Amino acid sequence: MKRKLPLAICFITGVSMIVQFFIPHPTSLEFSSMIYKWIIVLMALALILAIGNLIRHHGNKIRRKKENWQYSIVTLSGMVVMATIGLAWGIDPDSLYQRIYLNVMAPLGGTMFALLAYYMASAAYRSFRARSLEATLLLLSAFIVMIGFMPFGQYLHPRFPAFAEWIMKVPNMASQRGILLGVAFGSIATALKIILGIERSWLGGKE
Amino acid sequence: MKWYDRITTIDRRIIYLLLTVLVIMPFFVKVTIPQKIMPQTQKLFDFIESIPPNDKAVLISFDYSPQTMPECHPMAKALLKHCFARGIPVIGLSFDPEAPGLAVDALVSVVHELDSLADQKDDSLIYGIDYVYLGWKSGRIAAQLDMGEAISGVFPRDYFGNLIDSLPLMQVVKNYKNIAIVVILASADYPIDWIRYPQTRYGVKVGAGLTAVMAPQYYPFVQTGQVSGLMSGMKGAAEYEKLVLDYGYARTLGNAETGMNSQSMIHILIMVFIIIGNVGYFFSRRKKEAQK
Repeated sequence: MKRKLPLAICFITGVSMIVQFFIPHPTSLEFSSMIYKWIIVLMALALILAIGNLIRHHGNKIRRKKENWQYSIVTLSGMVVMATIGLAWGIDPDSLYQRIYLNVMAPLGGTMFALLAYYMASAAYRSFRARSLEATLLLLSAFIVMIGFMPFGQYLHPRFPAFAEWIMKVPNMASQRGILLGVAFGSIATALKIILGIERSWLGGKE
Repeated sequence: MKWYDRITTIDRRIIYLLLTVLVIMPFFVKVTIPQKIMPQTQKLFDFIESIPPNDKAVLISFDYSPQTMPECHPMAKALLKHCFARGIPVIGLSFDPEAPGLAVDALVSVVHELDSLADQKDDSLIYGIDYVYLGWKSGRIAAQLDMGEAISGVFPRDYFGNLIDSLPLMQVVKNYKNIAIVVILASADYPIDWIRYPQTRYGVKVGAGLTAVMAPQYYPFVQTGQVSGLMSGMKGAAEYEKLVLDYGYARTLGNAETGMNSQSMIHILIMVFIIIGNVGYFFSRRKKEAQK
């Protein structure tokens, strides 16, 4: 029963959701709307679990004074301070919450991402070598796309932008389409396996 | 040490220093290089241009975080300017929990800028009539699908706590039937859900503004017409800014133009270093082969 009941719920819900997608009848739409609302509520509940998990993880780290435990204090303080400010004084455009977000969170996030440019430049110089035919082709196409998409690429040669567009629209699109189709077929197969009870790892425990 | 060995072992601090100088330089030395507009950016612009004023709304899904703000924020501002200047109502929402702060900032700064240019009080933009921001919601696929029946069912209140039904714009815009296009400004794979679900079921038009890393994944959808237009990275943002300026919807260019110059400088630097590295590699390999 412990296994059969969840499998039955999964099968009935899965099949109903597939069927309702193709039936625009009011009853079908009402049913799907109800299920969608349940999903939104469940996802919101998962957030509460995530917050609990974050507090437990970092709380343990601080209590046991594990490596870099000081950063856990920053994480938990940040969460508590932002939540308190948001709940107490609101989230209006002129609020303290919004000012902290724009003046602390946004520059910090931008800085972290900007550091990637330094690593990328250094890594490209050290490891992007024309060691084989494939690597040389990759190197050349990267150069053409970069030059073609630069504002002054057209002044180096008028055909650079068109050639860069061609690379994006033909070889890139062909490979992207292949990947997309592969992912789509894989998703359908996995979904069917779950609905039909062939794939049961989501139930947890051992088979 | 031979010259070719030396050029393959340039100190990384020199690379970092050059990179810093080149990123900063365009902010002080203003250079405007004419942009060639990519067809997918033009398509998005033309689509917005074809929407009659005060008819259907444009739904903008702000799904980017501070990390990708330099690419996506100028897109948001240019798009908002275009919509507001043409009298198209805008509804904003987010499925990325980091995005609401940036969405509010984009809306407030554009509204403030346009209001300061308004000749009469009647020309100013009013929250609830000209634009609404719904806020963030979890369970995005379910929310996107349910919005096809009733937006108020998914967002009973807006980001600022107002009841949705109390806002004049939302009394007119009930579901996707009243939406001309959904434009997703994202740094992750968010547009695919809009294409797979609401577009398949409700036929909603989808446009996108994506980071340069994400954009190539959406070229197949532009070609099939499932994506009605695409802004690709900083270049897409700069192009849209230029179109908005050229059509007289703005008086100045935004930040993407300067950002594009910095980005171009970095691309050149990276290319130069890759060439230097490969020249060194080529000669050292030839030397090794000769020694064998």
